[in-house]
Amino acid sequence: MAVRKITIEPVTRIEGHARVTIHLNEQGGVEQTFFHVDEFRGMEKFSEGRPYFEMPQITQRICGICPVSHHLASAKACDEIAGVEPPRPAKLLRELMHMGQVVQSHGMHFFHLAAPDLIFGFDADPATRNVFGIIKANPELALKAVNLRRYGQQVIERLGSKRVHPYFTVPGGVNAPLKPADREAIASERETMVGYAQDAIGIAKGWIEENKKLADSFASFPSNYMGLVDQEGGLQLYDGDIRVRDAEGGLLAQFKPAEYLEYVAEHVEPWSFLKFPYYKKQGWPKGPYRVGPLGRLNVVDKIGTPLAAEEFKLFKQVRGGKPVEGSLYYHYTRLIEVLYAIERIGQLLDDPDILSKEVRSYGTVELSGHGVGVIEAPRGTLFHDYSTDPDGLLTRVNLIVATGNNNWAMNKSAGAVAEAFVNGGEIKEGVLNRVEAAIRCYDPCLSCSTHAIGQMPLEITLLAANGTVLDRVAR
Amino acid sequence: MARTLIIGYGNLDRTDDGVAFYVVNALRQRLGQPPLSPDETGSEQLTGERDSVFLRQLQPEWMETCASYDQVIFIDAHVHENTAELACVPVQSEYVPSPFTHHMTPPTFLALTQALYGREPAGRLLSIRGHDFDFHRGLSPAAAGQVAAAVEMILGMLEEASLSWGMEASCI
Repeated sequence: MAVRKITIEPVTRIEGHARVTIHLNEQGGVEQTFFHVDEFRGMEKFSEGRPYFEMPQITQRICGICPVSHHLASAKACDEIAGVEPPRPAKLLRELMHMGQVVQSHGMHFFHLAAPDLIFGFDADPATRNVFGIIKANPELALKAVNLRRYGQQVIERLGSKRVHPYFTVPGGVNAPLKPADREAIASERETMVGYAQDAIGIAKGWIEENKKLADSFASFPSNYMGLVDQEGGLQLYDGDIRVRDAEGGLLAQFKPAEYLEYVAEHVEPWSFLKFPYYKKQGWPKGPYRVGPLGRLNVVDKIGTPLAAEEFKLFKQVRGGKPVEGSLYYHYTRLIEVLYAIERIGQLLDDPDILSKEVRSYGTVELSGHGVGVIEAPRGTLFHDYSTDPDGLLTRVNLIVATGNNNWAMNKSAGAVAEAFVNGGEIKEGVLNRVEAAIRCYDPCLSCSTHAIGQMPLEITLLAANGTVLDRVAR
Repeated sequence: MARTLIIGYGNLDRTDDGVAFYVVNALRQRLGQPPLSPDETGSEQLTGERDSVFLRQLQPEWMETCASYDQVIFIDAHVHENTAELACVPVQSEYVPSPFTHHMTPPTFLALTQALYGREPAGRLLSIRGHDFDFHRGLSPAAAGQVAAAVEMILGMLEEASLSWGMEASCI
């Protein structure tokens, strides 16, 4: 039975609020670890009664870090409800905005959130193990990071008028074509950004090479994996079929987004507002899967842009073609996706339809009453599922958000690290940061992923062996 | 003439949290500049000596722009009961790590600006006490009552800067 509890609150350098409690046994070893998500949002419930076409604007306000993902997934669900197929140029533009989102989100995560640990080490002084330390140690790298994020943000702004919570999609398409001047502006910096992405990949690969043993063992465990694929099994972040592979890389399922409820279910625990999605056919607790960059690159057969494809081949050598299990490889695969997104931006800009003014489908709208939109958000597979009454007012909303899909994995990762590095006695700063670093691999966006409505039973207590309250470890 | 950038920031949809938007537009009116719509930042109009923008929050992308100014005046709402309804303080650059990635303070903003671009404008923070942070647009009567005074204070700072640039920054 656990007799001491160590609490890390809040978990730093992630988006949203969470805490980790590590329960120790009498011998000072780790008994159990919980990653609690304490945010309470209620988005699914308070959206009921709203007109379905408001959802691309409502749901993107779940978060200010990744609003575009919700905006686009919601638009796809609304397309189905409206029974309207967006014209090809509109799909290209939606994907273009999505690539901007991927670039800015992934880029920011690596340089701001993850790099301090990798560059300075887990045991470095917290006063320097941060973005300011990065700037001082390598100002040129820091400037590249700022510009990478700016580039992605500006792609979003050029299409949607704003960098955060853009106005862009409508049922059946988007609200405006791409201007030639904006196309030129995005294209003009692309090669420079490719270079920045390659520099970042070089840093990640160099670190892995120097720390191979740690990378392969840190928060490393078998799991299923999920991600979208195109018709050829290639990486696809905007649209495609959903594929699930098992821990050995075997194909478990591949299905259309509208069929997801046949394959995905959600488990609930009383100590977190974040649910635990799992592969239904294996049940709980056998069926959890990982999503996001590592999940995706463990699922796909190839990448359809040349430079990222070469990096993908190198990545697949890590475990001889089998799924890579170490959570730290999320940072590496995240950067491969940055490179892919920048290359994909180039492919989209070169498409003859990209400047087309045919960006919206019109016609008689017969509401279907139900729509599912699925997209690969930077953090993983994102599901928007809406049901409406005959007037288009929402009667039911189900959101399975990327970070939610990784909930089991984050708990597992925190626990694996705690078992390896926490042992009774003195609790060192670096040890606690390792637990946080394990969670940080998943780039969790907790504001998005907590949408249940219910009670708020927060507990912030530390118990000594005799049951009295200990001092809390927090930042 | 010293180049000054006024950065108002906050959430327009949370009543007084968006007070800076109203201050910026009232200031722009006094300076003969067009007002910003709620969706505009003003980023495409930065050509003069006295520029103003409204942002949802301080962001790193703005550091390069700020580095080219001599003075930055931040405008925000505050909630401190022991602080005046309208307060102005110099901003001393200092990087303080935050547990939350989506929050940057003026001192951190200036510290990172200096670290990244080798130049740090003089900073001042003008704060208006917020009384209502509910989910709608508009201002509480108390916050609205401070907008004109805030504009006068900023105009005074602009005049001071044009007369005596190079002296230590101070708040009127």
